[in-house]
Amino acid sequence: MTAHLARRTAQMLLVVYGVVTLTFITVRLVPGDPARLMEPPGTPETIIQLVRQQIGTDKPLHVQYGDFLAGLPRGDLGKSFRGGRPVGELIAAYLPNTLLLGIVAMAVATALASIIGIGAALRRNSVVDRAALFLVAVAQSTPNFWLGVMLVLVFAVQLRWLPAIDMSGPESFVLPVATLAVTLLPLLVRTVRQSFIDALGDDHVRAARARGIPEHRVLLIHVLKVASLPLVTLVGLQAGFVLGGSVVVESIFNWPGIGTLALKAIQDRDFPMIQGTVLVIAIVFTLVNFVVDLVYAALDPRIRY
Amino acid sequence: MSAPDARASAGRRLTVFLLARKSTLAGLALFAVVTLAAAFAPVLSPYDPLEQDLNRVLLPPAWADGGSAAHPLGTDPLGRDLASRMLWGARLSLLISVASVLLGGGLGFIVGIVTGYFGGWLDAVLMRIGDVQLAFPFVLLAIAVLGVSPERTPAQLIGVLGLTTWIVYARVVRSRVLSEREKDYVRAARALGASSARVLLRYVLPNVWQVAPVIGMLYLGFFVIVESLLSFLALGLTPPTPSWGSILADGRQFMMVTPWMPIFPGLAILLTVLSINLVADGMADYFDPKLMKGYAPRHPLPPRMAIASDKVLAVRDLTTVFRLGAGVLTAVNRVSFELGSGQVLGIVGESGSGKSVLALSIIQLLDAPGAVTEGEIVFLGKDLARVSNAEMTGLRGRRIGMIFQNAGSSLNPVLTVGYQLVETLRQHLRLNSEAARTKAREALEMVGIGDPDRVLRAYPFQLSGGMQQRVMIALAMSVQPALLIADEPTTALDVTTQAQLLERLDELRRELGTSVIFITHDIALLADFADVVMVMYAGQVCEIGPRGRVIREPRHPYTQGLLNSVSRVRAPGTNRLSAIPGDPPDPMHPSTGCPFAPRCAYAMAVCREVNPARTGVGPGHEAACHLLTSTPEAVAGGGTS
Repeated sequence: MTAHLARRTAQMLLVVYGVVTLTFITVRLVPGDPARLMEPPGTPETIIQLVRQQIGTDKPLHVQYGDFLAGLPRGDLGKSFRGGRPVGELIAAYLPNTLLLGIVAMAVATALASIIGIGAALRRNSVVDRAALFLVAVAQSTPNFWLGVMLVLVFAVQLRWLPAIDMSGPESFVLPVATLAVTLLPLLVRTVRQSFIDALGDDHVRAARARGIPEHRVLLIHVLKVASLPLVTLVGLQAGFVLGGSVVVESIFNWPGIGTLALKAIQDRDFPMIQGTVLVIAIVFTLVNFVVDLVYAALDPRIRY
Repeated sequence: MSAPDARASAGRRLTVFLLARKSTLAGLALFAVVTLAAAFAPVLSPYDPLEQDLNRVLLPPAWADGGSAAHPLGTDPLGRDLASRMLWGARLSLLISVASVLLGGGLGFIVGIVTGYFGGWLDAVLMRIGDVQLAFPFVLLAIAVLGVSPERTPAQLIGVLGLTTWIVYARVVRSRVLSEREKDYVRAARALGASSARVLLRYVLPNVWQVAPVIGMLYLGFFVIVESLLSFLALGLTPPTPSWGSILADGRQFMMVTPWMPIFPGLAILLTVLSINLVADGMADYFDPKLMKGYAPRHPLPPRMAIASDKVLAVRDLTTVFRLGAGVLTAVNRVSFELGSGQVLGIVGESGSGKSVLALSIIQLLDAPGAVTEGEIVFLGKDLARVSNAEMTGLRGRRIGMIFQNAGSSLNPVLTVGYQLVETLRQHLRLNSEAARTKAREALEMVGIGDPDRVLRAYPFQLSGGMQQRVMIALAMSVQPALLIADEPTTALDVTTQAQLLERLDELRRELGTSVIFITHDIALLADFADVVMVMYAGQVCEIGPRGRVIREPRHPYTQGLLNSVSRVRAPGTNRLSAIPGDPPDPMHPSTGCPFAPRCAYAMAVCREVNPARTGVGPGHEAACHLLTSTPEAVAGGGTS
């Protein structure tokens, strides 16, 4: 177990390091000078040079890289090119909003998907099943940025039931959560349905029925315990969708989260901020998947480290 | 089959498949429309998509007030024709997505083939790179990098999307190649000195390529969304290039004034991706048809008076069919037998003879789409084909126990042995948990398990096959059922374990007075275990009688053949495993005659036309064979000896 934890931690650090380094190098290799972008067109070269010195992009690449790595252990992610505030501070202020939105959306999506998926599996090839599968296909084909815009158009602009943008009270969660949940649903429903169908066909389920175990116990204990295993793994994948989707959803609903920070940083060519947000997203994603592995091992006795 | 024949039959299969799958057909039609619109965008567009006309900005679509036929979908904030921009948007979106799929898929496919077939250091390096890529949503990173560049051309977009997705194809193709490479005929070809290129092209590729188009289709839909998303976030193709995403972004800005504008690009994306996904689903099912699996909902037959019987079990004219798409398969055909208290009935037959379906018919747990359509199963005075579902659940486990061939998969893998035993005992015997625990320990001791406490705590995977089957027997026998159905319980075990287990089972059923139906394909096993032997062939009983008579004086040529093959295997000096030549008949197309006739050395003209009825050949001994009603002595000559 200890050896496994050590190996997994090393693996996680390697992935995070690789992702961050790749970001560091590629944003600098792509043409376009952030200093020039920060000043109005036609600014004299001498002033641009001063800006470069101020933000540190005048130094050789390996020196910049060294400074960046040296800061990491201290939690120093550098200062934003725009406004000069420490990147770490901004991320610490914005990240909880993203996590809150993501967790609520995942909880809603998982609950809905379980009901739809199990219902469809138990009535396989019925009207219910077909309708569920069709809805899933439509949801899978719906671009979430469009859905977000349409939800705002209908519920905020036309009907005026809900706030269109900004994070305020609980009602401000409804539209962004709905948008994210629709993105998460298709894969969840398909997985729940398929793993339930697979588990229902397992030999041990027939054996349990042959022992006279009543149907509700067969479904709620024997089938559910086996069928829920793939769902756990899916949570890790979902974390990726949530973090990726946050860029879109936060931009549509003006949500003060890490996606908003990342998008603005990309548009501004704010290198420290891009590196910082990518680093944090990478850490959250690998950590979630690490926890998922541990939970899976705890649920499935066949896996022991 | 020659090549043109194969092609024609593949074409037929595709036609049949498509006609049965309306959703795939609809997806294909929709996708064709989108593709044609994209291909002919330059011809179809009424205007240049980049042509601005600031006198005609934000015009409504033709059907709304103030709209005109000159601009069917209206105009955008710069006075550009929306219909033209939508058409060109389709063109660019599909172009970029298809090219990205070809790049990522092509690269991944080649990498998968090479690493899977040749292995070595290249495999190790490429797969580790892939692992890192898979450990993080790399598309996100790619988007960040892409967004930073000041100019974004279609080629850049294609490069980024293609290069971030190759690993998925590579992994799937690689694992397929790995399993293909080890198949007998591929190894044989390599051993015979076929070149790597020839083995790959002739043997490996034909069984591997099918996975690529399905993944490719799914990515195609994904890329259409990603391309629009990038444009929507102003990170996609550099404006003023028309893209669905940038039209949507414009529409969002003027949402208050022109609420219709965001609807067009969204619907276009939705319908395009939906069509692609429907085709992908169809392709997945076409290339990899999943078999129907699972339990058939039970529908009791209409009630009727059962003929009384003093036996534990009396089965009369039992018929079980499976209604499949291609026709009706009769798996059990008018089977009748009786089983007295404490007796053992051995049922023997090849796989596919219907013996397992017969067992599942009795306990009423048939796989979908199976159903008992005729006959009676009178168990302790109740007709199991006609009792209610609730009553049947009450009988299962309590009065009828069953053990299966694969003990390992018949135990729930994520529940301990103790949990499953206690659950069963409490269900049937109304015990508190402590008493159930004690009883569970006794049950394990009863089947000869020396350390019951360890086994109670264990998960099934921690036990050997023999132990697992002992646990199954304990599960079935601990509540002392009147009838035990054992379906090849020892087939998966080695000979020593098999003998120990059978001995234990025999002792146990004597102690408890349980009647047993013992199903096997090995007639030799029944020689010292069964009271009555029943031989099944193609869903029918061909011979039934007391063990001594059937084994010493078999009257049906099939029984004789079965015994013959056993004695020949055991005879010294022969090392050839002899079986009856030929194969069982196709159950979908039964003949009107005796099902065994095509393989029978004594078959007569009548055998191919009339299915023989069971006739008595001795006390309690019956066989279904025309030879017995015409010239009995002809059969005696072909006996065992």
